[in-house]
Amino acid sequence: MAAAAAGSGTPREEEGSSGEAAAPQPQAPTSAPGARLSRLPLARVKALVKADPDVTLAGQEAIFILARAAELFVETIAKDAYCCAQQGKRKTLQRRDLDNAIEAVDEFAFLEGTLD
Amino acid sequence: MAERPEDLNLPNAVITRIIKEALPDGVNISKEARSAISRAASVFVLYATSCANNFAMKGKRKTLNASDVLSAMEEMEFQRFVAPLKEALEAYRREQRGKKEASEQKKKEETDAAEGTTLSCSLGPWAPSPPPGQSSLRPKSRGDRT
Repeated sequence: MAAAAAGSGTPREEEGSSGEAAAPQPQAPTSAPGARLSRLPLARVKALVKADPDVTLAGQEAIFILARAAELFVETIAKDAYCCAQQGKRKTLQRRDLDNAIEAVDEFAFLEGTLD
Repeated sequence: MAERPEDLNLPNAVITRIIKEALPDGVNISKEARSAISRAASVFVLYATSCANNFAMKGKRKTLNASDVLSAMEEMEFQRFVAPLKEALEAYRREQRGKKEASEQKKKEETDAAEGTTLSCSLGPWAPSPPPGQSSLRPKSRGDRT
């Protein structure tokens, strides 16, 4: 799947299967740099949400916020893992940096044992 | 082939881009680390969904909404996400409103155009009858009787 969309302002990639109208105009009047709308495809996030047997329905806004939260999470964990790599004077993030970050940071406790 | 929830990974290209933008230039990431982060993101979504669902059930609702997810973030001790998520939500709502108004405007224009065509056709075959007193029949002459 060639998801090599280089556009920084386009929120959704080719997967317009979520039932919403595709956003053809990337014009975002927001000036704040972090206010970009989600880059993760909402359809995939929706699939994850539906994988939970206890969930009946999820609104579009909920899916969107989960996608955005997942992005923030990726940024956060990458930065924390990078701190460990820096201490080892390396410029490449390794799997063990991630494991160290998970052990060190309380908020990542839910990940223990899930990545193996 | 059983489809486990962990197999629902998010696209690698997007994950890599997010990681690269979060880190300073020149920093690389190994394949294993990247795929581990991708899996972690999926686990995060599943965990957040489950937490959010608890809030929805407490509120006796069957549909997850945005505030359920925000409450879940606090529950999971990711309070620092709440403010940027609220901003993103506002921007998303504005965008949705803009799209809705645009599509309603389009629909209105299409309906007006359609109604215009229908009206002009209905008056075509109707022809008015002549008013009384102007009959085209000539009066009978009485000179024929003997």
